Amino acid sequence: MTENIVVTSGKGGVGKTTTSASLAVGLAKRGKKVAVIDFDVGLRNLDLIMGCERRVVYDFVNVIHNECTLKQALIKDKRHENLYVLAASQTRDKDALTQDGVQRVLEELAADDFDYVVCDSPAGIEKGAFLAMYFADRAIVVVNPEVSSVRDSDRILGLLASKTRRAENGGGKVQEHLLLTRYNPARVASGDMLSIADVEEILGIKVVGVIPESEGVLAASNSGVPVILDETSTAGQAYDDAVARLLGDERALRFTDVQKKGFFQRVFGS
Amino acid sequence: MRATITTAEPILELKFGQVGIANLRLNVDDAETLRAEIAQKVAAAPHLFGRAPVILDLSRLPRLPDAARTRILLQAIRDAGMLPVGLSYSTTENEALARELELPLLAKFRAVYERQGGDESVADNPPVPANRRPRSVSKVVDETPTPPTISPAMSGQRHGSAVRSGQQVYARGRDLIVNAMVGNGAEVIADGSIHIYGRLSGRALAGAQGDASARIYCMDFQAELISIAGRYRVFEDLPIELRGKPIQAWLDGEKLHVEALFS
Repeated sequence: MTENIVVTSGKGGVGKTTTSASLAVGLAKRGKKVAVIDFDVGLRNLDLIMGCERRVVYDFVNVIHNECTLKQALIKDKRHENLYVLAASQTRDKDALTQDGVQRVLEELAADDFDYVVCDSPAGIEKGAFLAMYFADRAIVVVNPEVSSVRDSDRILGLLASKTRRAENGGGKVQEHLLLTRYNPARVASGDMLSIADVEEILGIKVVGVIPESEGVLAASNSGVPVILDETSTAGQAYDDAVARLLGDERALRFTDVQKKGFFQRVFGS
Repeated sequence: MRATITTAEPILELKFGQVGIANLRLNVDDAETLRAEIAQKVAAAPHLFGRAPVILDLSRLPRLPDAARTRILLQAIRDAGMLPVGLSYSTTENEALARELELPLLAKFRAVYERQGGDESVADNPPVPANRRPRSVSKVVDETPTPPTISPAMSGQRHGSAVRSGQQVYARGRDLIVNAMVGNGAEVIADGSIHIYGRLSGRALAGAQGDASARIYCMDFQAELISIAGRYRVFEDLPIELRGKPIQAWLDGEKLHVEALFS
C-alpha cells in the first residue's frame, strides 16, 4: 500500500523542500521504497537539495505530457538505491500539471510497489500546491514560529480538510502533522518567537517534530546533501526523530530548550 | 476540473499560437455573385464554413477595390455567413486599404503561401468576369502551418541578453547566436547550429528538427546537457579538459563528440 505524503505550508521559504528531501532520505534509510516529487514547476529546487541537478534529463511535466516514461524520468539517488527523485520542469509553468496526469503518475508509482511518495508542494495555494495535496493520505504542514507562517498554515489545514480527494470522496481524513522548523529556543525565551505551545494552541494540533535553526541546513542545501545525513547537526538529528515519530516511534523532543552557556562560551561567544 | 481554486486573474493574457485559418481568394469583385456563391458553400457544409473566420485575398482581382467597395464585399461575405478577419498579402496599396478598413494585414501568412504555391496558378486561373464564370468565383484555400525548412540563406537568430533559469529560446528553422550567458536550468534550442559567446551552464539542443550536421559552440563550457538531432549527453560531472573551455560539439554517426576548440 503506497502512502502519499504532501509537504506543504502555504508560505514560502519555511523549509518545505529541505523537509521533503530529509523526509524522503529518512524513510529510505529505514528500507522503504520512496519517490520524492517536486511540484514546484518553474522554480525547481528539490534536485539541488538532493544533489542530482546535473542528472535531470526528463522531468515530471514530460511524464505528464507522455513525452517519456516514468521510469526514464525517475532519478535514482546515489546514496540510497530505493530512493528516487522526480524533478520539476524549470521551463514550464504550473499550468503544465494536470489532475489526471498527476493521478496517473501516482497510480503508476503505487503499481511499482513504492511505500511512500513524498510530494514537495510549491508555496501558495494555486494549482501546483492544490495538485500536490489533492491525492495526499498524509500531510506534513511545515511552519515557522512566527505569526504569518502560522496563519498560512491554518489556511492550508483548512484546504487539506476540504480540497483533497479524501475530503471529497470520504476516504477518511487526511492525516495532518505539524512540523515546526527554524526554531530558536533563545529567541523564544526572549519573546521574539512563538513557542511550541503557542503554535500548537493556535493551530490545534501537536507537532510531530521541531527542527532547530541550524547552520547545518544551509551548508547541506548548498552541498546537495539532505541535512538528515549530517549526523553532527542538530537539525539533522531532529529530522531523524521526526521521521521516526511519523513511523510510530516515541521519541522525546530535543534541542527545544535554551542551552546554558558555560563560562568560556560566555566570554568568547559561541 | 473537479475542484476550483480561487486565483487573482490578470486583466488580460496575450498568448501566441498557431491556428489554421482559411484564405478566401476573390476572383471577382461583384458583391451579389460573391454572396450567392459563399451562401451556397456555407449551406453545403455549415459546420465547416458557417461563421468561419477567413482572410480576404484581393490579389487576384483585376485591380484593388477601394475602401468603400471593399466594405461592400466584406458585408456580402458576412451576409453569406463567413466572418472576414483580415486582409492577406502585403503590398503598399493593400496596407493602406487595410489601415483604412481597420483590419489587420496578415503579410507573413501570404508570404509562406506564395513561396509554396508559386505564381504559376495565376496563369492557370486568370481573373474572369463574373458573368462568364458563375461557378467557383471564390476559392477557399486551407492554410495549415508549414513545417519549417532550413534555408542556408537565412541568417541566424541573435539573442543579445542572458538566458536565465527557466527561460527557453528557440530559433526555428535556423541557427541561434547567443551573445551572453545561458544559466543553469535555461534552454537554448535551434533547428540549426547554436553559437554561444559566453558561458553555457544550462542546456543546448541543436538540430531540433533532426539536422545531424548542426553543431554547438560555446566559449565557456559548463553545460548540464547538450543534444544534436536528438542524441544527447548529460554532464553529471564535467570532464576537466572541457570545463570552462571553449568547445564545439558535433555528431559523428550515433556518437556526440565534445572537444575543446583550442587545445
